[in-house]
Amino acid sequence: MKRYDLIIIGAGPSGLSAAIEAAKRGMKVIVFDENARPGGQLFKQIHKFFGSKEHKAKIRGFVIGRQLLGEAEKAGVEVRLSATVIGLYPDKEVVVREILEPEEGTAGETSAKEAVFHYKGDAIIVATGASENMVTFDGWTLPGVMGAGAAQTLMNLHGVRPGRKVLMLGSGNVGLVVSFQLLQAGCEVVALVDAAPRIGGYGVHAAKVARTGVPFYLSHTIKKAEGTDHVTGVTIAQVDSRFQFIEGTEKHFDVDTICVAVGLSPMSQLLKMAGCEMDNSGKGGGQIPVVDESGATSVPGIYAVGDVAGIEEASSAMIEGRMAGIRVAEYLGFDDKAGADTAFDQNEKALEGLRQGMFAPGNRGKKIEKTEEGIPVSENLLTHGFVADDEIERYPGVTHKAGVHPVMECTQNIPCNPCQDACPKHCISIGSNITSLPVVLKDSACIDCGMCVSSCPGQAIFLVNEDAGPGKATVTLPYEFLPLPEEGDEGYGLGRDGSRVCDAKVVRVRSSGAFDHTALVTIEVPAEYAMKARFFVKA
Amino acid sequence: MRQDRNRDLGPFVPREGDERIICRCEEVTQGEIRRAVHDGMYTMAEIRRYLRCGMGLCQGQTCSRLVAGIVARELGIKPAELAPASSRSPMRPIEMKVWADEETDDSKVRRA
Amino acid sequence: MRTADVVICGAGVIGCAAAYYLAKKGKSVIVLDRDNSIGNGGSSRNGGGVRQSGRDPRELPLAMYGIQHLWPTLSDELGVDVEYHQDGNLRLGKNERHRKILEGLTERAVKCGLDVRMIEGDEVRRINPYLSDEVVCASWCPTDGHANPLKTVLGFYRAARKLGAQFITGESVLELKKEKGRLRYVITDADTYCTEKVIVACGYESRAILQTVGIDVPMTKDLIEALVTEAEPPMFPQMLGTADADFYGHQTNHGSFVFGGSAGYDAQNLDFGHLATQSNNAPAICRAILRWVPKLADAKIVRTWSGYEDLSADKVPVISNIDEVPGLIAACGFTGHGFGISPIVGVLLSQLACDEEPVLDLSALRYDRFRSAV
Repeated sequence: MKRYDLIIIGAGPSGLSAAIEAAKRGMKVIVFDENARPGGQLFKQIHKFFGSKEHKAKIRGFVIGRQLLGEAEKAGVEVRLSATVIGLYPDKEVVVREILEPEEGTAGETSAKEAVFHYKGDAIIVATGASENMVTFDGWTLPGVMGAGAAQTLMNLHGVRPGRKVLMLGSGNVGLVVSFQLLQAGCEVVALVDAAPRIGGYGVHAAKVARTGVPFYLSHTIKKAEGTDHVTGVTIAQVDSRFQFIEGTEKHFDVDTICVAVGLSPMSQLLKMAGCEMDNSGKGGGQIPVVDESGATSVPGIYAVGDVAGIEEASSAMIEGRMAGIRVAEYLGFDDKAGADTAFDQNEKALEGLRQGMFAPGNRGKKIEKTEEGIPVSENLLTHGFVADDEIERYPGVTHKAGVHPVMECTQNIPCNPCQDACPKHCISIGSNITSLPVVLKDSACIDCGMCVSSCPGQAIFLVNEDAGPGKATVTLPYEFLPLPEEGDEGYGLGRDGSRVCDAKVVRVRSSGAFDHTALVTIEVPAEYAMKARFFVKA
Repeated sequence: MRQDRNRDLGPFVPREGDERIICRCEEVTQGEIRRAVHDGMYTMAEIRRYLRCGMGLCQGQTCSRLVAGIVARELGIKPAELAPASSRSPMRPIEMKVWADEETDDSKVRRA
Repeated sequence: MRTADVVICGAGVIGCAAAYYLAKKGKSVIVLDRDNSIGNGGSSRNGGGVRQSGRDPRELPLAMYGIQHLWPTLSDELGVDVEYHQDGNLRLGKNERHRKILEGLTERAVKCGLDVRMIEGDEVRRINPYLSDEVVCASWCPTDGHANPLKTVLGFYRAARKLGAQFITGESVLELKKEKGRLRYVITDADTYCTEKVIVACGYESRAILQTVGIDVPMTKDLIEALVTEAEPPMFPQMLGTADADFYGHQTNHGSFVFGGSAGYDAQNLDFGHLATQSNNAPAICRAILRWVPKLADAKIVRTWSGYEDLSADKVPVISNIDEVPGLIAACGFTGHGFGISPIVGVLLSQLACDEEPVLDLSALRYDRFRSAV
């Protein structure tokens, strides 16, 4: 039987990260993945990631995926694709279904021959990720009802638009991010709906959807999907505090697609099959293995990392993967304790950094009333997806100044700081606490370079010139839709709520490699809309 | 967990959504699941064996959470108190001609 | 302390069937099982055969009685479709050695009055055109069949429970206790039960429970495996087996095929504390299927499982009053073929527990038949 020092199941962010750390320490590592492409969910993440430099902040997910693959290749990791693990058996034996090279003279055969192979590892890391949850309503099995992740796969991996008119259920980060991506793909998102009374994901993700005009319906959920052989419409209704429908609150939308983003469940079956002690309390999003901080399960030599060990973000999954890779190398004598401890601690610190702020695992489900700075959280943001005009001025990133200056509509404490590094003039500061709200430093001189605008993964930074000629103001906004507007285009400035607030004219469009596909569109608006217009649509 | 199977769950009362399919692979409805609980099927394993829900091609990946929610509600307990049904290979359905073919020389595997 | 006319240790198909027939007689019954689920042992893990052919003459009358009197009406009786089919059993052979085995089995069964005969390969394939051309002979018993073990055990449970039988799961029986020469108490990890009669039907675990009152039934256990495919269009309704009894299977109502077989290490397999399957068994079963039913090559397997069978020293069950311990009845050592006779065993146990004359002679299945061979 073929034997490896380490077998990793799943070539997603955590699996690849673990493989890299283990292989760097001299281990013979193989990674199996059932998909034809590596990277797990990373390659469909076309948005920029949050965090700081060490978390690969402001880099788009698929680029991080490419970087990881390069790193893995360099470290000598063997990645086997279209390799489905059938079972994880006693003695750390992995049975894998793989495709064989066609034998000579069989080139004309239509289907490739497949067979199963048995491998043993001195250690196994299970990094199989998660699958999407579903909710049921009348018509939920109609074609056209799909997971938001499935819609994302269609769009971003296969170039297929999932539908034309879409209703999104779920306001967590997945629901928000995919809604934005549906808009990018040219779909109309008719509504973003959540049974919860407050938006679950990052406010900045919600705000960039809201400003395009997508309405949010909190305390609402789907009553039924309509259609006979596919979705033709959907009815939602308001729910009370016990999630019961309130009579007479029904709203109908004509749609051909309903996306469901109601959380993920760990795909932990292999761990269970291997006899690992499991935790069914639901705290990790479903059944998860009991693990220590290095991902070690109750079965010596079997580890679990990433979503399979508890649902989190890709950024933390990558660090968890590295931590497990380091400890596995130590466990099998490829690294000494001191070396492993140093590397482990460094990653642990990075992980702690990501688990700070309002959305930290410990705050799940809690309503946070005030920011760390003591500023009341925008109620409108939580219930409608955008900060109201009369709320925005309370945040430290929103200041007034002569000339062009950044306006940072960053209103929640999330672990993210690319903006402070992006500004070549050091106008922006977050400080040592990564979750602090950004502030504009006094006496700093903005040169209108736009680096802060494009660096913000939340698309929450605008460059505003409140006095751009008589009665005029300019607003430079991040723009990730095609086709790009052109200089001279006339249209409307949209408010944070997506409503048309004023006439607007495009005066400048910038896109450069440094902006990494976030174009900067500068619009000219009446001066009184300098702090109100946040998006542009052509007339 | 010790369980006395004769506690009174009250009469079976039809509820909105009972016609709704919960397990898509095996086409099991909410009403069938609720009825099974009243018939004494108190564990996920029993529900599965009695109705086949979660025994189809997806092996319960989609419905087990939904089924657990329905069963727990009927029993008046939290879903977390229901032990999930066991996990067994194959993790993905596999043609028997493929599983029967145990190769030893993995140099013949197609590399990406 | 709770009391009942009869306490049954083991909520498998035997215990549940006994509970049902006892409850039907108006007895108060408590059924205890250490597992959290009803029928979680061999009862939910077997291949569903309802066979007479291939059985030892000592238990053949039970199988025949069940098929003549109980199985045909069981679904109606229990109010649950147990998916009983009486479409025959083909025990297949590929060579002369197989033929000899099959002829021996057939001859013995015919002597007991069973309608079973040897047929040649062509006739085998007329009955079942999906079988391999390599099949040269078979024993054919047209009155054999199969049923759904999951529905059967849960059906007996459901019906017994409806009649008032009490079921308690997740509670382990630790000890049986006599009072004034009669068995009186069942002591568990949670309670003590006072009763007139105790039926022990816990598979291999029966041995340890019986030992608490000084009774030993010589048994071992094998860890064996089976698998199930996705649903296929209806292909054949017969139960299949082989001369070497190393492979068996049938197509269920649902369309899926259930097959059992082995890589050959049943006695050595370890369960690793969680009924682990072995990596070599499923491929071995797949190869066996391909050899006997080659047309299933593309059928997908969706699940495998393992389970213990309790092997008695002579491969025939113990169904017996324990004379030395009045009030104690044992039903164990079914050796992998208990499911098909479970309804009649339930009836017989209910009769023993009510001190009635059993409908069939059980003297060949006594607990004290295991004597020194030399």
